Amino acid sequence: MLDPITEHNLRLTRRHFFGRSATGIGIAALSSLLTSDMNAEESSAIPGFPNFPPTAKRVIYLFQHGAPSQLDLFDYKPGLQRQRGSDLPESIRMGQRLTGMTAFQAKFPTAPSIFKFSQTGKTGTWLSELLPHTAKVVDDLAIVKSVHTEQINHDPAVTFCQTGFQLAGRPSIGSWIAYGLGSENKDLPAFIVMVSQGVGGTQALADRMWNSGFLSTKYAGVKFRAGHDPVLFLSNPSGYDTAARRQFLNDLDKLNELNQVKFQDPEISARIEQYEMAYRMQASVPELTDLSKEPESIFEMYGTDARKPGSYAANCILARRLAERGVRFIQLFHRGWDQHNNLPKEISGQCQETDQPTAALIQDLKQRGLLKDTLVIWGGEFGRTVYSQGTLTESNYGRDHHPRCFTVWMAGGGIKAGQTYGETDDYSYNVVKDPVDIHDLHATILRCLGVDHTKLTYKYQGRRFRLTDVSGHIVHQLLQA
Amino acid sequence: MNSLKVLCFFVGFQVTCYAASIEFNRDVRPILSDKCYLCHGTDAKAKHIPFRLDREGEAKALLPDGKRPIVEGHPEQSEVIQRITAGKPAMRMPPVYTGMKLSDKEIETIRSWIAQGGKWEKHWAFLPPKRYPIPSVKESAWIRNPIDAFVLSRLEEQNLHPSPEASRETLIRRVTLDLTGLPPTPTEVDAFLNDKSSHAYEKVVDRLLASPRYGERMAFVWLDAARYADTNGYQYDGGRQMWRWRDFVINAFNRNEPFNQFALEQIAGDMLPNATLDQKVATGFNRNHRINTEDGIIPEEYAVEYVVDRVATTSTVFLGLTLGCARCHNHKFDPFTQKEFYQLYSYFDQVPEIGRGIKYGNSPPVIPAPTVEQQKALDELDQQMDVIEKMLRRNDRAIERAQLRWERSLSGNRDQWWAPTRDSLASFTFDGKESVTGERSNVPSVDGRCGRAGSFDGKSFLDTGIQTKLDIDDPFTLSAWIYSRDVPDGSVVSEMLDNSTGKGFGLHVNHGKVHVNLTSVWVDDAIRVESEETLAAGRWYHLTATYDGSKVADHVRLYIDGRPAKTKVLMDTLYRPYRNAGSQFNVPIRIGAGWGPERRFHGLISGVHLYSDVLSTDEIAALADADSLSAMAAKAPTSRTATERNILRWSFLESAAPSQYRDIWAKRNALSEQKEKLERTFPTVMVMQDVPQRRDTHILTRGAYDKPGELVQPGVPAVLPPLPAGAPNNRLGFAEWVIDPSNPLLSRVTLNRFWQMYFGTGIVKSVEDFGSQGEWPSNPELLDWLATEFIAKGWDVKAMQKLIVTSATYRQSSQASPDAMQHDPGNRLLARGPRVRLPAEMIRDQALAMAGLLVEKIGGPSVKPYQPPGLWKEIGMQNTDYDQGHGADLYRRSLYTYWKRTAAPPAMINFDASMREDCVVRATATDTPLQALNLMDDEQFLEAARFVGQRMLKEGGATADSRLRYGFRLAVARYPTEVELAVLRSDLQFHLNYFSDEKKAEQYLHQGESPADSNLNPRDLAAYASTASLLMNLDETITKE
Repeated sequence: MLDPITEHNLRLTRRHFFGRSATGIGIAALSSLLTSDMNAEESSAIPGFPNFPPTAKRVIYLFQHGAPSQLDLFDYKPGLQRQRGSDLPESIRMGQRLTGMTAFQAKFPTAPSIFKFSQTGKTGTWLSELLPHTAKVVDDLAIVKSVHTEQINHDPAVTFCQTGFQLAGRPSIGSWIAYGLGSENKDLPAFIVMVSQGVGGTQALADRMWNSGFLSTKYAGVKFRAGHDPVLFLSNPSGYDTAARRQFLNDLDKLNELNQVKFQDPEISARIEQYEMAYRMQASVPELTDLSKEPESIFEMYGTDARKPGSYAANCILARRLAERGVRFIQLFHRGWDQHNNLPKEISGQCQETDQPTAALIQDLKQRGLLKDTLVIWGGEFGRTVYSQGTLTESNYGRDHHPRCFTVWMAGGGIKAGQTYGETDDYSYNVVKDPVDIHDLHATILRCLGVDHTKLTYKYQGRRFRLTDVSGHIVHQLLQA
Repeated sequence: MNSLKVLCFFVGFQVTCYAASIEFNRDVRPILSDKCYLCHGTDAKAKHIPFRLDREGEAKALLPDGKRPIVEGHPEQSEVIQRITAGKPAMRMPPVYTGMKLSDKEIETIRSWIAQGGKWEKHWAFLPPKRYPIPSVKESAWIRNPIDAFVLSRLEEQNLHPSPEASRETLIRRVTLDLTGLPPTPTEVDAFLNDKSSHAYEKVVDRLLASPRYGERMAFVWLDAARYADTNGYQYDGGRQMWRWRDFVINAFNRNEPFNQFALEQIAGDMLPNATLDQKVATGFNRNHRINTEDGIIPEEYAVEYVVDRVATTSTVFLGLTLGCARCHNHKFDPFTQKEFYQLYSYFDQVPEIGRGIKYGNSPPVIPAPTVEQQKALDELDQQMDVIEKMLRRNDRAIERAQLRWERSLSGNRDQWWAPTRDSLASFTFDGKESVTGERSNVPSVDGRCGRAGSFDGKSFLDTGIQTKLDIDDPFTLSAWIYSRDVPDGSVVSEMLDNSTGKGFGLHVNHGKVHVNLTSVWVDDAIRVESEETLAAGRWYHLTATYDGSKVADHVRLYIDGRPAKTKVLMDTLYRPYRNAGSQFNVPIRIGAGWGPERRFHGLISGVHLYSDVLSTDEIAALADADSLSAMAAKAPTSRTATERNILRWSFLESAAPSQYRDIWAKRNALSEQKEKLERTFPTVMVMQDVPQRRDTHILTRGAYDKPGELVQPGVPAVLPPLPAGAPNNRLGFAEWVIDPSNPLLSRVTLNRFWQMYFGTGIVKSVEDFGSQGEWPSNPELLDWLATEFIAKGWDVKAMQKLIVTSATYRQSSQASPDAMQHDPGNRLLARGPRVRLPAEMIRDQALAMAGLLVEKIGGPSVKPYQPPGLWKEIGMQNTDYDQGHGADLYRRSLYTYWKRTAAPPAMINFDASMREDCVVRATATDTPLQALNLMDDEQFLEAARFVGQRMLKEGGATADSRLRYGFRLAVARYPTEVELAVLRSDLQFHLNYFSDEKKAEQYLHQGESPADSNLNPRDLAAYASTASLLMNLDETITKE
């Protein structure tokens, strides 16, 4: 893609710099540059990482934002039908805190799911009728029913899932992984985020959710958007074509190189490289986000929504395309799961949008041989209450936030498929067996990537911070032996 | 070991060679802290660790097993050495599970230190800065001020030499960017080049320090540290108004307020005797934190977070300490206990706030903060008012005489009752005259208190059909007479849904207790205030409620029979408007109803008045006077009450006085209305305030809001000096302690941040951490000298900037020799000048300045320049998107750009600006492809490039070369070399050829809202604009060299 002269010049610059470093600047200087905020080699991992042979090279995290109801999707509680309308027993609630939205409710009427469950797959896993497509791939999943968190409100809970801490300021999981493992694709960022809107109750996101916190800005997630500019400022201005941009960059490189000779500052070489990467992204990103060459069968597989740019289904196809290109951490946020009222209607809509593409992604990765080294995660920030928020009727109910238990599933990338892990009580209120907290989940994700979660640290404010803060246990049962 | 004459090792990335003498603070403590204190530190006891290594006494004491961790002079007898060199992995320290390892060099350092006697020192940053003598140096001719002597002395220790002075062009660009955040103009560069006087540079520095741009430059850095933003953060991330605080900061730097005073005011300005408005506004510093307004949060949880944020931010910014780490447990590395954290916490948890903020706008406590112009306008109105009041007084006797005649004429008139007419929304007198358009049930009109009354039977009510449309930000006054044969009960007047949710506002009686309600969502989003007095059966009462729009229950006032009534606050959580998120709320004023059928009033209601302002107590007393005008007039003047005298006078001046007096009176009322209108436009600002009655502070077990432990008193950490004598033990006393010259931290920490602004890295690199995990200063003597100099100079901020930028150290060329690069890649020893990428705001501001587009105006509400559409909507809660501004709003300095925390301006974030979610003081600069895309393709920069191109064409002379030179100078102040010019020439030629396709040129020029000069040839303009864009993308342009 580069013209020969620039290519040559670039090589010269690189050799110039690294040649120096081998003979002149010395290892101390080089390592100092690497530990400083100015990193000359974008794609490099931290020395020593990964710590173990990884089972996953990359992650696709399908974040279901707003908190899907475990009770209506995965956590089958047939016994609840008999309790319909009766007050949640104190023996179950055990004085645990509620949000301000239902804490003042006079009654906490038990609301069993109105959706039918049936056994699916060879494993006979119980799944809700809302997930007919997931049922087809259920044997590829490890369903964890015992995930729990301390956070009871959206913003802190998502922040916790993303950064391992409820307050702002820490790096997100994708940033930690980009920092630890670097990128596998020189033309694309290591951490890419896509957001889609569901039909249900929408909650706010924040750029902070994929920010790099105290890590260098270069590890921040890059948000891909639907439409003209998938990455902010990606396109050349109208009237300015690729050839013109190439010439522009050639001239820019020449002038920057002249300055490099004068100042000996490796920062200048780094900048030249970044401009070249920007140029490569100008080509690679539109090619990547252009789904027009995907065959008809793919659209059939992911569903009709997949033709709508920005939809969850389209983003699922993009996730697969990013995985094919070696992007390290791909995260989708699908909004609309916050169903305080009218849950049956809203969750049906949400599932209609997400069930098919989610299952298609698993199948698609599998048929391309990518699932084995791609870790796929599906889940929200907390669960929902067994009692109805507002009035319980024959066909309608709402559910409030519930941090004590919720369901997350994992697939591919070294995960032992076809299992259900963890158990909740009869009300899907408390975890009764094999609890998994967010730090455990993070530790396990990192383990799949070959990273010891206690070793991936960054010193800031005098402390070695890590994604799992001061806890986190790998859930070995979820991993292939 | 003795063969080790010189010990070379790395501190961070700094290559430093020290003589064999080991200093505990410099060499040993960092190792112990980093590798040992996690267990053998403040928290040792809790972890059942037998001894601590952060205290000399314990580190050298005899242990129960007969060993000593450290035996002075005898490494071989020291348990520490035994253990860190133990061969058996099970014995070896640090244990494997910690993941820590000591390098051979580190072990050797500890061993040498013990061998040399193991002399202990208190952590350097907690000792007062020493005034070291200015070192003598060989190359003394290079010295311009003492900074240079300290720097050169370190260089000479290592046989290094300083670099020559930077070129004049480089120097004026460097110092202009550093002191004002904007580049020098070619004219300014020329003036400097041509100034042959020996003080030419100093003159430039003085000019820059006197420029109001200086305050803007300094403020931006402060805004990052203070996590300033225009929204609340968290889920809804609704707007707030803190720009008055921002403007205060700009002005404080511009008028060179001494830093100790500035710090005092930021922390506790509100508590100073006779605090001025500015001093109160200053305390917005500790209200800039995020505020959660999410439905369903547990407010107490967030009330704790806000206080923790204040402690963390205040300690980072003023003390360079990471005290936030001691929230859940004793600090792992520094000598701060968890208890001490909560003692500090106690200075900041006295704010009358609830944990959930107001959804859109400022959360209490809030004050109105008129700008200087607004205050001036208000003063003018006050003066006019004075004149009018004087006129009235001067004419008092004449008015009195005329009024007497009028009073006599009143006797025998039909009864009339006076009520204020100003700000009246509606009045109901039940005489059948008021227009009632709504549904009206059967309410008979009977004789009432002031004229007629409505008779309500517990079912009937009056739907007036009138809507005030007031919301929670709007003030009101509601008043009415009521009578009930039983203990009064039911709704008196309301604009409220007539169901049990009671959304809206109203005046009610609940079994004899008067209630004022403002409800968005019962039960967690409402104000309810109740009278202490219980109304009795069988008598008339006059009730008035006022509310000032503050969303604070404390500001709801209740009056019974015209006198202020004692009240109890039952609910104080109002935070969402009735019309939240665009929801409909169209409810009429109802009399005798609202809040559901079970709350209908039973009895008589008379004389109902609604106002859109808080009436004065005199006016309220007047409303509560049941006598008619003629009855009052009939009384002897001496036996009238003050209220009756008021009523007669007001009524007379309003409608019956001779026209010259009526005119004066009308003018007075008009003025007062004008004043009120003006006051409503005043911006507000969130400020610090303490509750009158001190609240208790508890240690929170593991930092959890719902696990209060031991009760603590406010206090400062024991390792630091005590509160100054006579200082009160409250936030003000704490602030006095922070700025006390005996505090070893404030001047060091502040100077260190200044240093970072100029050199890219602090003398202590960890600007946020001066604790034992912080980095050893690259030049401790220099830091201490600067710190003591700052205090000696009376905390003169401008003087310190001048000292730094006029030093020979600062004036060095930043060109590195290969040797220098090899020896000190991070330039910690300063053998060359700084070469640092510009911060985000400067990159944008410079582009606007180069383009001649910059609109300079200090302060005011934040503005919304270009931003790609959809960024807010994509992730935000509401369906509202960024509402881009136009005209001047597009070209203000970046410090005025509207900062939404959850979707911050991309051009700022791309270039490493802090997210403004929490306090950030460390400057960082990265390289990413997003930066390249941002500079090449963002409308803001493309438009600026078009204007630079236009300037090149119009101001750059007649030839391509002269135009290119001019553009180059606009970007980097210097002239291009011949080789550079050749590259530019060919670039321009390429673009001229490229844009000979007219369509392309037209399209390319279509960037931004400011029109191009139509006299210019589009092809030329597009080509020059492209080359200008190239200039703006140069590494040199976005770098301070």
